[in-house]
Amino acid sequence: MATASETTLVTMHNESGTKWWTRFLDPSERTLAVLLLMPAALLLTLIIVYPVGRLIWTSFQNLSLTSGVPATFAGFENYSLMLDDPVFWETTWNTVLITLITVPGALLVGLALALMANLPFNVKWPVRLSLLIPWALPLSFAGLIFAWFFHSEYGVVNDVLRRIGIEGVIWFNSANWAFAAICLTIIWKTSSFMALIILAGLQTIPRSLYEAADVDGAGRLRQFFEITLPLLKPAIVVALIFRTITALQTFDIPFTMTRGGPGTSTATLAMYIHQNTVDFLDLGYGSALAMVMFVLSMGVTAVYLRMIRTKG
Amino acid sequence: MTLNKTMTLLLAGAAVTLSASVATAQTNLRVFVSSQHRPDVWRKAFDMYEAKNANVKVTIETGGNTSEQQAQYLNTVMTAKDSSLDIMILDVIRPAQYAAAGWTVPFNETLGSDAASYMKRYLPAYAEANTVDGKVVALPAFADAMFLYYRKDLLEKHSIQPPQTWDELAAAAKKVTDAEKDPNLQGLSFQGKAIEGAVCTFLLPYWSMGKQLVSDGKLSFDKDAAVKSLKLWKDFVDQGVAKKNIAEVATDDTRKEFQAGNVLFAVNWSYAWGQFQGAESAVKDKVGVVKLPAVQGGQPASCLGGWEWGVSAYSNNKTEAQKFVQYLSSPEISEFMAINAALLPQFPEVYTDADVTKAVPWFANAKPVVETAKARPVTPRYNEVSEIIRTTVNGVLAGQSTPEEGATQMEGRLRRVLR
Repeated sequence: MATASETTLVTMHNESGTKWWTRFLDPSERTLAVLLLMPAALLLTLIIVYPVGRLIWTSFQNLSLTSGVPATFAGFENYSLMLDDPVFWETTWNTVLITLITVPGALLVGLALALMANLPFNVKWPVRLSLLIPWALPLSFAGLIFAWFFHSEYGVVNDVLRRIGIEGVIWFNSANWAFAAICLTIIWKTSSFMALIILAGLQTIPRSLYEAADVDGAGRLRQFFEITLPLLKPAIVVALIFRTITALQTFDIPFTMTRGGPGTSTATLAMYIHQNTVDFLDLGYGSALAMVMFVLSMGVTAVYLRMIRTKG
Repeated sequence: MTLNKTMTLLLAGAAVTLSASVATAQTNLRVFVSSQHRPDVWRKAFDMYEAKNANVKVTIETGGNTSEQQAQYLNTVMTAKDSSLDIMILDVIRPAQYAAAGWTVPFNETLGSDAASYMKRYLPAYAEANTVDGKVVALPAFADAMFLYYRKDLLEKHSIQPPQTWDELAAAAKKVTDAEKDPNLQGLSFQGKAIEGAVCTFLLPYWSMGKQLVSDGKLSFDKDAAVKSLKLWKDFVDQGVAKKNIAEVATDDTRKEFQAGNVLFAVNWSYAWGQFQGAESAVKDKVGVVKLPAVQGGQPASCLGGWEWGVSAYSNNKTEAQKFVQYLSSPEISEFMAINAALLPQFPEVYTDADVTKAVPWFANAKPVVETAKARPVTPRYNEVSEIIRTTVNGVLAGQSTPEEGATQMEGRLRRVLR
């Protein structure tokens, strides 16, 4: 379908007499075009192309700032080191797991929140505001706040559990419970973003569709699956793209809640990159790790973009 | 009275301002001091220097409350080649790393040809830790080692002697906690959180079995000893001698809980003593301190601590800074800090100084412990070595992996770093 629309575009221009691109060959027009594009191109080069290029280059170097030795070319050494680095595999797996749990989790909670916020309340702003608050809170604050919630001795979670007669657990003393606490926090923090985008999508669905469905005698559930969900798809895909990419880069919440502990069982790839570059100052290995994340993010984006294109 | 005082202060202030403006070259030195080592008392030592050297003004900077957090901050300052810091206090494990990275200036030019004899005045471990390839890269600020603190009152009540081995400690802890029936009383507190202290936690029994981690710059990992060491600590948790969430306990948590009267035995550095004897302490005058226990059939071992003064390679006042550091690393200041902040001296003779033994009587017994304390491995990649050990200790204590799995993982990862 995409190719079809492109063809239409080209033929359209062809039909308008002279070939559309010939105007760029006109010297005066071309200079203008270059001049107009220059600022944006320069800025992009400065803040994106150069750093990414430098990252790729560094990932092929032996560059450790603590060694006092100047950088040397290392070929694929940093990449081959990664293969038998158990912590690399563990943190990558943790990252994938967090993505697989929190993205669908946040989608479900976000969808429910959006449907609730879309109900015909008389006063809408308190509902919308309470939806916005978790989204507006900085990630690290959310991590620190929830770290206290889940504290084994002073935390509110164990306190509530105790009051209803359940013996609480030492959340951060066990890999599974710590992981669960982190996932819950991430879902709480990110579902409001999902809800906001879905809510915007919900409001574009014309009421008339529901009225027609009512007339046809379709129930609430039927209306949801036949009208709401299909029409929400574009909004959901957009929300998923953003959420998945940020989930792959998860850093703040586990960093502030557990620092990756116990052991390295809740550390993410982003935390491992940070540790290698900032704590160990091993920029070569850190850059190679960052390349893996870069490729992962690009891969996910490509999949979603394809989904949008085939749907759109 | 008050008016008089104000007038005097104003006059003194005016005099200082005048003399400062008269002095031709005013040097501002910015010093990074670790927040856990009494910056308030160091400030007094700095004031004494300022009083003698009118052209020098010293400002203190502090930050972070653990050795790693401070290292993280200093790493950033140093990689940015920031000239705002002139002097920084470094954990004993770092002078070698900082020298390898070229972040500190050696003292050899200032000390001249007698650098070697200058360093001989210090305890040998500190002369060694601060000398890299014949270059004096930092000067010792104070010494430290790990000790066993115990509740003198409780041991006397149950007529128990301070334990010589870890097994004796476990038995004593059980006897006292069973008899006291206080649910808040922990038998033993040590560092299980993934912090620098956990590296020493691992090494104490490991060293006690006569094993070394690094010999001649090569990894000499003894897996059996490593398993036994991790198992020793894990057993303390399983037997209820240490509390269940010990994997969340950092150095200062041990100090706070002991100080609140909730701990019978505690593994900690010398700084804790001053706090235990402070006004806010629930255990004032009820604390004993001895050398750490040994494993059955092994030698007692302690972890060498201590902090060093380094001068930044990016400082604009290197000469003045080195002069100031020589003053800070002198026997006089060592004695001053021992008396006022209970920091262990880096000079052997200060331990037996009359004023020092009067202020901190147990320092006389501390000397042999410091003299025999072992240094953590010296390598430019120490940060990585440390991270591997502390996350493994933390993981094992949390039950995330067994001592066997932990030791295997540790060995594999250490081999990658210390190739």
